[in-house]
Amino acid sequence: MSDESSQDDRMKELWQSQKTEGVRMSIEQVQASAGKMQRKIEFRNAREYVAAFLVVVFFGYEFSRAADLLVRAGFALLIAGVGYLVWHLISKGSWRPLPKDAGLSSCIEFKRRELERQRDLLSSVWRWYLGPLIPGMAVLLAAFFRANPGHLKHPAFIVVPEAIFFAAICFAVAKLNSNAARKLQRQIDELDEGGR
Amino acid sequence: MPNVERSVAPNQESRFEKALGTYGSALERLARAYEADAETRRDLIQEILIALWRSLEGFDGRCSLRTWVYRVAHNTAASHVGRQLRMRKQDFVALEDVPEPADHGESEKAASHRDELAVLYELIGQLKPLDRQVMVAYLEGMDAASTAEITGLSAGNVATKIHRIKHILARRFQSRAAGAAGPGEGGRDER
Repeated sequence: MSDESSQDDRMKELWQSQKTEGVRMSIEQVQASAGKMQRKIEFRNAREYVAAFLVVVFFGYEFSRAADLLVRAGFALLIAGVGYLVWHLISKGSWRPLPKDAGLSSCIEFKRRELERQRDLLSSVWRWYLGPLIPGMAVLLAAFFRANPGHLKHPAFIVVPEAIFFAAICFAVAKLNSNAARKLQRQIDELDEGGR
Repeated sequence: MPNVERSVAPNQESRFEKALGTYGSALERLARAYEADAETRRDLIQEILIALWRSLEGFDGRCSLRTWVYRVAHNTAASHVGRQLRMRKQDFVALEDVPEPADHGESEKAASHRDELAVLYELIGQLKPLDRQVMVAYLEGMDAASTAEITGLSAGNVATKIHRIKHILARRFQSRAAGAAGPGEGGRDER
């Protein structure tokens, strides 16, 4: 028993005598932590802007080439949808700079509010990311069928696969964003748990 | 482990400074018990400190500052482990399921070829978060009542777990201790 007791003391001594670096927290460190998140958001937004630019260039080119009014209307609607998407991303999805004179509590509150904004953005992609593209896609599909009346005899062979493909992409994008929103919610919950 | 009186500090900042000054090293050891990677551990420590900072706003002195600090830190670290678990699909074991070393020779060999602390961290790293909490609290020298308060387990349950921890540590490290006490061998058994 005394052997066990001295063994206990030895293990505790071993544990407690570890060299430590000294933990500390400052506004700068909270800012650095928020900065990591900011860089991720900025990278995501930059990727979306580049993709949107390429899509607009491509749709604009197709718009200029198309003779059919319905096709032109479809591409115009898609370009408008992408425009709305980019505007929404800039106005609601950009990471706002942390106020320079903020205290530690304000820094943490600020980080929490930003996490909430990003969560709301990701959990509403149907409204601002996917939804605005649907009218353009629908008009283009209609224009395609009008230009190829032969397909209307067997619409199931043409309509269903294309509709399923488009819907599958939309649902996959929505699912990815919903998962990301859940991760952000967990971070918010953890911050709140600390506050209780 | 120094004791801090139960009085409520006048404001959040002074409570925080007090908690950090008194328990900073313990928090660092706790973070090591939950995260092996140095870079990720720095993030975990920041997470713990942010959680602690926020929590101290509502600290009402109904428990000791030490209990409060450890509870917040363990909860934050356990959430961190949960996230890592989802990402790495790692399995943890309960204290009851920690495998016994095959024999003393193996235990001694393992312990004498690696740093004891590394062996201890390896052991802790296998444990489920709740058992890890008990193990860390035990190594920090807390009694069963304080550990129960931090973990939310009953004092009896904590006592059982501590008994198991003592047994596991004895099995893993006693040969090493005996070797270290041996004359002229520098703590190693020359086979």
